[in-house]
Amino acid sequence: MYGIIAFFRRHYFAVLFVALEFLSLYFVFKDNYYHQAGFFNSANSVAGSVYKTYNGITSYFNLASENERLAVENTMLHNTLGSTPDTSKHLKVAHTNPYGDQFNFITAQVIDNSTNQINNYLTLNIGKNQGVAEGMGVISPSGIVGVVIGVSDHYTVVMSLLHKNYQLSAMLKKGGAFGTITWDGGDFRFALLKQIPMSETVKVGDTIVSSGYSTLYPKGITVGTVETVEPVPTQYFYKIKVRLATNFKNLGFVYVVSDLMKKEKTELQDNAYKANEGK
Amino acid sequence: MITDVAKNIARFLIFLLIQVSILKHLDLGRFINPFLYVIFILMLPIKSNQALVMILAFFTGLTIDMFYNTMGYNAAACVFMAYCRPRILRTYAPKGEYDTSAKPTIQSLGLPWVLSYVGTMVFLHHLVLFFLEAFTLSSFFSTLGIVIVSSISTVGLIVLSQFIMQRGRT
Repeated sequence: MYGIIAFFRRHYFAVLFVALEFLSLYFVFKDNYYHQAGFFNSANSVAGSVYKTYNGITSYFNLASENERLAVENTMLHNTLGSTPDTSKHLKVAHTNPYGDQFNFITAQVIDNSTNQINNYLTLNIGKNQGVAEGMGVISPSGIVGVVIGVSDHYTVVMSLLHKNYQLSAMLKKGGAFGTITWDGGDFRFALLKQIPMSETVKVGDTIVSSGYSTLYPKGITVGTVETVEPVPTQYFYKIKVRLATNFKNLGFVYVVSDLMKKEKTELQDNAYKANEGK
Repeated sequence: MITDVAKNIARFLIFLLIQVSILKHLDLGRFINPFLYVIFILMLPIKSNQALVMILAFFTGLTIDMFYNTMGYNAAACVFMAYCRPRILRTYAPKGEYDTSAKPTIQSLGLPWVLSYVGTMVFLHHLVLFFLEAFTLSSFFSTLGIVIVSSISTVGLIVLSQFIMQRGRT
């Protein structure tokens, strides 16, 4: 006993080091720590309010480009509605949306964002109180942005597409071949599209959209365009570099996508799996 | 004594704010990623209790992690840096021992001493931080490049900050 006490007294510095380092690495490698508490990420009220104040000052510098983006989106929506200025029709449309009643969109402002880290995150100015939940998709007027991984009452943390753990089921708009979008670090303007078989024809400039296999995004949201296509020798897949449609450096307003049928879909799948296992 | 504590708390808050509001958004490419906030740990008095320094380093790192959404990464790097601190201080000690009034500043110990002390500490911190974040050795040289270039930018900012603080005092 005295031996142990003497050991700790002599080596308390090393023991403290091991203990604190162990704790830090535990945080690093612990899976899904976001699901634990709102305190340990930028959704907590301290970090959230600092970013909100910061954004209150800096958002003015991007007003011109933000307005332009929203105007472009308005034009696009007008075009999809048709050009008849029939108010009754507009009112009716206002209650639905182009994706039917399955998806609901919540407007949010990006108050913190990064593009130069190995793993990038965004912080949004809305949270649980506005109906955001973990696992919801986030899109911008121009394309896919990321997925919600943490929410507090007033703030949301989003895993950006620019994150090594991010994966998205995407497809070629022309031809409809499915692949997976990932980010390999480096340039924030480009991502990789993998698993498109060599039997497909892929041309530079082809549009890539979300496939709708996941419950995160509606089908057909723009991801980007093909920048380069290379056949990988010894494999049956192309190596495709994608120019992302979303400009991650300059994100102002985004939409959180809430899939109203997500619960139904996952329950159905779970039940089907269970039923299958029972056999 | 009390003013020293107050000074350090003020330094912590100011550099934390600079880090998360300015430096985090100062997008200078993937290689230049300065972490100026470590200046708070580096400028703690030379004679302070080493265990206390390590605990402070841990919580400083955690606070930064909270803002960066990188839970544990900065804490691990800071704790490692604090663990190496006594040895580094001993290595660079002028003629064997520090004066009781010596502070880790340019004014007190000169620019060469500050450069070697700050340079070593920052390099160790960035080494742990960026390799932990990359987590693979496949991109070993690009990660090492990030460590070196970012270390230089951090050291530059720390020296600059020391000059500014020195100006403010006189």
